[in-house]
Amino acid sequence: MNVFHDAATQVQCESIAQWKKDGKPVVGYTCSYAPAEIFYAADILPYRLRGIETDGMEVGDTYFGPFICSFPKCILQLAGKGKFSFLDGAIITPGCDGMRRLDECWRKAGEDIENIVPDYFYYFDVPHKSENHGMAWYIEEIKELIKSLEAHFKVSISKEKLTAAIKEFNKGRRLLGEVENLRFQQDIVVSGTDVFAATVAGTVMPRDEYTKELKKWVTALKKRKTALNTGKHRVMLVGSISDEIDLFELIEDTGKAIIVGENLCFGIRYEGSEIKEHGDPIEALAKHYLGSSVCPRMYGKYKERLALLKERIISSQAEGVIMQNIRFCDLHGAENALFERDLEAMGIPCLRVEREYGPHIDAGRMKLRINAFLERINGSSKTAKKTKSTEEMFVSA
Amino acid sequence: MRPAIQEYNYDWLMGRTLKAAAGVPLGTKKETELTYRYIPYYKNVAKSFIDAGDPGLQTLAMLAKYYENILTAKAQGKKICATTFCNSPVILYAMDIVPVTFEILTAIGAMVWKRGMFDYMDYCCEIGMPETSCSSQRGALGAVLGGLSEKIDMVICDTPGVCDTNANAFAFASEYLDKPFFQLNYPSSIGDDRSQQYHIDDYKEMIKFAEQHSGNKLDYDRLAEVLKEVDKQDAMIADLEDMLMLKPTPVPPMYNLALYAGRFCFSGHTEYTKLLESMVKTAKEYAAAGISGLKNGEEKLRVFMCYIDHYTVDVNFYNYLEERGIAHVGSILTRNFKGDNKYVKEMPGSSYSIDTSTPDAMLDSIAQMNARLPMVRSIRGPYDKKGMWLEESLVCAKMYDADCVIYNGTPGCRNTWGMVKPFARDIEKHGYPCHIMYDDAFDDRVESWEATKERLDEFFKIRGLL
Repeated sequence: MNVFHDAATQVQCESIAQWKKDGKPVVGYTCSYAPAEIFYAADILPYRLRGIETDGMEVGDTYFGPFICSFPKCILQLAGKGKFSFLDGAIITPGCDGMRRLDECWRKAGEDIENIVPDYFYYFDVPHKSENHGMAWYIEEIKELIKSLEAHFKVSISKEKLTAAIKEFNKGRRLLGEVENLRFQQDIVVSGTDVFAATVAGTVMPRDEYTKELKKWVTALKKRKTALNTGKHRVMLVGSISDEIDLFELIEDTGKAIIVGENLCFGIRYEGSEIKEHGDPIEALAKHYLGSSVCPRMYGKYKERLALLKERIISSQAEGVIMQNIRFCDLHGAENALFERDLEAMGIPCLRVEREYGPHIDAGRMKLRINAFLERINGSSKTAKKTKSTEEMFVSA
Repeated sequence: MRPAIQEYNYDWLMGRTLKAAAGVPLGTKKETELTYRYIPYYKNVAKSFIDAGDPGLQTLAMLAKYYENILTAKAQGKKICATTFCNSPVILYAMDIVPVTFEILTAIGAMVWKRGMFDYMDYCCEIGMPETSCSSQRGALGAVLGGLSEKIDMVICDTPGVCDTNANAFAFASEYLDKPFFQLNYPSSIGDDRSQQYHIDDYKEMIKFAEQHSGNKLDYDRLAEVLKEVDKQDAMIADLEDMLMLKPTPVPPMYNLALYAGRFCFSGHTEYTKLLESMVKTAKEYAAAGISGLKNGEEKLRVFMCYIDHYTVDVNFYNYLEERGIAHVGSILTRNFKGDNKYVKEMPGSSYSIDTSTPDAMLDSIAQMNARLPMVRSIRGPYDKKGMWLEESLVCAKMYDADCVIYNGTPGCRNTWGMVKPFARDIEKHGYPCHIMYDDAFDDRVESWEATKERLDEFFKIRGLL
């Protein structure tokens, strides 16, 4: 487990350092709509950019305006401080307005601070719809990205290599699926913090090593007998992007709750389904990454996302949902309000909270809100136990 | 929302206000002056338009008509579509659907009422929209979500890929009200074959959606008529744009507002044609006499607003420009990217043309025109790439001989606040003093107009401009 925690809590963990020592390139990417399999197929390490280890904001605040989410600001801060100097490339995606402007801010910061912009700097244009021409556009974007990587890194990304990459990533998806099943049990043997660390690690570690470690970990988990959830409430964590293990710890360290599922940009939601291993690999990747519509950037798909969330609440027997949004993240802020309206109507207690990303300066306030919410669930659970289960509540609603 | 506010249907309230305002100047001068006593709350804004002469009166009449259309839509069996300013209403008119453009209605309310649209903006937050979302939608949207407006039947927006907070407001409205939703989505580039085709494919889907939810088939003969009217209007806009280049410019600051308000409300409609005719006529008379469009007759400074203007109570911003002798040489909202405009020649691939010869040609024309409306044309991609915001702003600042460039928006405008600092620095590098306004164009609570005015004065003084 330590290997996952190390990878999840350090900008550059040991296995990345080793990868670099072997002379192999690392390319950072900002958004879950960038198919990591493409990089793997070119023997490039795909590295999901995170904002952890930020201890100031002077670079982020210099280039971004004041009304911008702290997550892209933290990434820019780290870039400006040279923490991403190990990157050979970066790919910016229009996941949201804040993240897409990282493109300009990073490049412009590079005019003032030497050597902070990787040689390979690419804008990957992901559409906001997955039907017909939206999907066709995305497939074309993937092909362009492949061409660009091949030209810059002097590599070849064949269909066979892409299929092999999909197969390798699917192994990890299947293993994470097994972990999810363990979380759905009555007695839960793994904490939400550990599961999240394992999924975040998957976005930065070399994939072969990751799959190997994951397999070992899952085998060990299956042998565990001690339930960690005795006397604790089962909660889900959803909302704005988060790569913060300490946010999970904040909730689980109350001693009153265990996180049984999350719907975050980092985390299990993208690993939930396998990618087709037969047929055209580019189409398979496109259908998986663009077609799943799990992010509120895909406007008009709220009902699909609500259905997914409900399904997950039922499977994990969650008693409540904590919905957080980073300030200025309107997409999740507004969607959380709709989730809250619809889930509360079905009898699922919800906590909606706005926060800042980065060093947890408002940890005390968050703790207070979370504790109050858990007390509320405590009251609701006592009443609900006398009446209906979570699934029954959904059915009757 | 306060119970007192909930007592009134907002559309009816504002519709009647505008109708009354449009009627104020119809009497004698003495009657008009006397009437002002009875409308203390919107006297200043009515007076500002009335004092602007015939174009001002036409603007008031046009806005009153816009509301009348909304208020009578249901009685006429027409569907109402909530949409955004950068989605042309032309197609909706061609399909006999009544558009409700949130940003326009918010701007009107903000200019007319001393308390602005605060109650409605805050209502959106009461029911869950983040307070950090854009005020330009939240004003009118608050009334819609609160059930204080005419009921909308469908929602169409075209800002995904350009402005999250705009698109998000429309997506939220659709879910909250359980109304059908369609998004036109723009790629990050413009002018290349791939983007052009995407615009057409997406637009065709939008037409299918509008047909399905209105029950009206697109009538291509009607579309041709509307597009021909647009063509005529574009030519007059080009005339006004040309006259903005004159020194002194004969175009009064308020005409900028009327120009784009008309386009967002009544593109392809004769109401807008009449307004443009009136503005062109007056401006040409000023030009022939070699006089400035400013009331005091002296042009001391030329300002290019690289984004939007300021719309709070009493049209303060435009009156401020008049008082200081500052010519307004346009904003991102003024510009029109029809192929024969002078500035588009500096930006290859940026323009559109209108061809009504066949249905396909019309669809191509309207899709490309729509993709070149303000914001969706030049804020879609990285600001310093070909055809994007920096290039557009520099071309316009140069062509209109601006003395400085000013950014104004709303705190909700994530797409520009994400990069406006390096953008402003690049503008400065090209020799234009650049000022970033930190107010909210629709909400004086963020920064009072007095403070905004002080900061503008300070900028002009420190940079030696005035």
